[in-house]
Amino acid sequence: MSAGARERIMARVARATASRPGVPHPGALVTLPAEDAVDAFVKRFTISGGEVARADPERPPGEWLTGFLRGLEPQVMGVAVGPDVPPELRPGLPAVAAAHAGAGISMAWSAAADTGSLVLPSTGTRAVQLLPPVHVVWVPAARVFARLEDALRELEAELPAALGLHSGPSKSADIGRTVVTGVHGPGRCIAAFS
Amino acid sequence: MHTRIGDYASRSREIIRGDLGVREAVTGATIAFDQKRLQGYAEVDADAWRRWAEGVKSHTLTHLDRYLTEAEARLEANGTEVHWAADAAEAREVVMSLAARHSVKSVVKGKSMVTEEIDLNPALEAAGIEVYETDLGEYILQLLGEEPSHILGPAIHKSLQQVQQLFADHLGSEPGGDPDTLARAARRVLRDAFIQSDMGITGGNFLVAETGTVALIENEGNIRLTTSLPRVHVAVVGIEKLVPCMADLAGFLQLTARAATGQPIGCFVSLVQGPAAHPDDDGPEEVHVVLVDNGRTNVLAHEHAWEALRCLRCGACLNACPVYRQTGGHAYGYVYSGPIGSVLDPGLLGLHEAMPLPFASSLCGACEDACPVRIPIPEMLLEWRREAQEEGLTPWKERAALKALASVATRPGLYRAAGRIGSRLGATGVARALPMLGEWAAERALPTPSGRTFRELWREGIE
Ligand code: SF4
Repeated sequence: MSAGARERIMARVARATASRPGVPHPGALVTLPAEDAVDAFVKRFTISGGEVARADPERPPGEWLTGFLRGLEPQVMGVAVGPDVPPELRPGLPAVAAAHAGAGISMAWSAAADTGSLVLPSTGTRAVQLLPPVHVVWVPAARVFARLEDALRELEAELPAALGLHSGPSKSADIGRTVVTGVHGPGRCIAAFS
Repeated sequence: MHTRIGDYASRSREIIRGDLGVREAVTGATIAFDQKRLQGYAEVDADAWRRWAEGVKSHTLTHLDRYLTEAEARLEANGTEVHWAADAAEAREVVMSLAARHSVKSVVKGKSMVTEEIDLNPALEAAGIEVYETDLGEYILQLLGEEPSHILGPAIHKSLQQVQQLFADHLGSEPGGDPDTLARAARRVLRDAFIQSDMGITGGNFLVAETGTVALIENEGNIRLTTSLPRVHVAVVGIEKLVPCMADLAGFLQLTARAATGQPIGCFVSLVQGPAAHPDDDGPEEVHVVLVDNGRTNVLAHEHAWEALRCLRCGACLNACPVYRQTGGHAYGYVYSGPIGSVLDPGLLGLHEAMPLPFASSLCGACEDACPVRIPIPEMLLEWRREAQEEGLTPWKERAALKALASVATRPGLYRAAGRIGSRLGATGVARALPMLGEWAAERALPTPSGRTFRELWREGIE
């Protein structure tokens, strides 16, 4: 029985640790933040196979994104766009279900430079972040933290049901030790800066 | 889980003498992983990171009741249902009753050692539930009816040709397809499974007490899908997986990836706090966490072995181990293989059941040097050997193990072992723990007991 199991396990844990001196927590892990978080993010993210695109400052970002998606190979026809992507950042392409979209368009909550990670809330939605073969993520430059620790701590008080940290394309080397991309999740992960 | 540990000697002999393919594949893969780890460590102050990680894990384990209580309260506040399972049977029972409650017909699974440990798949299948392992390597093994042989690359012992044949037989893919084509064939089957399944089952790399977060690391995206698409997510998590807070998690996510594959972080990390609550969230309606003991409190109670519970399951010790490199994981006969298996299994299963694993090592110390949480594996092996001798579990089994080992261990390995153990324990300690090695070492003018190992001295250029 589950309730009985809890008591039994807790009693065993208490007994097992009773005579062992407690080890103190060593405090924070000291890691050195990079000087320019955005530069560091771009470097790290691209080493891991992620791609970075910068919107043309002369054009409205949504319009730029439309052109960018049309230029991809294969050309993106339909998109799935996260509900939290603001109107000015949405491409002018037909909206389709995530399972059939050529690209998913998301908004990052934040990003971490030291690991090259995009922080994506589950309200984004998860289908948009995971099902299309290409994932384009808008990243506000001001929201790039130097360290993953800072990005996660900022969220600590108001965590959504789930977060995804995406730090590159889906990949596997399980077959013959050859790296293949797009195994289950998106095979291309593109961070877009406006 | 049914173990075949007792056959270690004959199985390793079989692998070494018989199936050259396995040995070549495992050796190649582990050496490649090990080199990536070295690169991954070199990019940071790895010694400081490892000392920090050792400290956080030991802190958590020496205050485990407090952190379990905190995690439980927080998980429940997040809307997650918490279950406790003292052994494998109880853990299976929890999952099976959840499956029944939701009339589950099909399950997608993320790679998880603990669900192997509790023999979950056979139980689900016996109830008529379809089970899909969704990690590509695990999927290959599921089709083959084999068990994983490595924590990280469960199918590293399989060659491209073997997978080509398998997928041609099962998925009707073109014979001789390249890895890309083969992966696409598997993706098609598994994508449907993700969309149709009612339940996703995962393990958990970490459980953050302060926030009630189950953290999962991967590269393929299958775990993200497993925790996102089905209506119900069940995470089966060992009670030793706790870390205190998010800041700690940030460090462990990075260290685990660096130790495992040299990456700064896995391509995908899922941080699961609970069921979808926001109207925009398309995630599961229910999240369950099953906290599993199954021998862990026995390990925790052991004077020496408790430190093995720091293990992050990164596989670095497997990759570094000259013995594992020769045979792969299947020789060991249990889900936890390699150096960590040899010290953990006696604690989890009982020493008698785990014989002769504590003897399946040349004590070269490479595992401890690789380990991100600095588990003193060689010392633990010696401790288990001492206990085995005390309990009369040697010598015939010891002899069998050493015979098998003789074909894989090399003289330089033994020399390093002698140096290391000699420097820590002194000559009498060695002689008591391993008479054969003691005698041999005595002839060899060991480094004097300076507290430093032969390998450490070697690195400093002092000979
Ligand atoms: S014992 Fe250390 S090196 Fe081996 S799997 Fe565990 S954490 Fe990794």
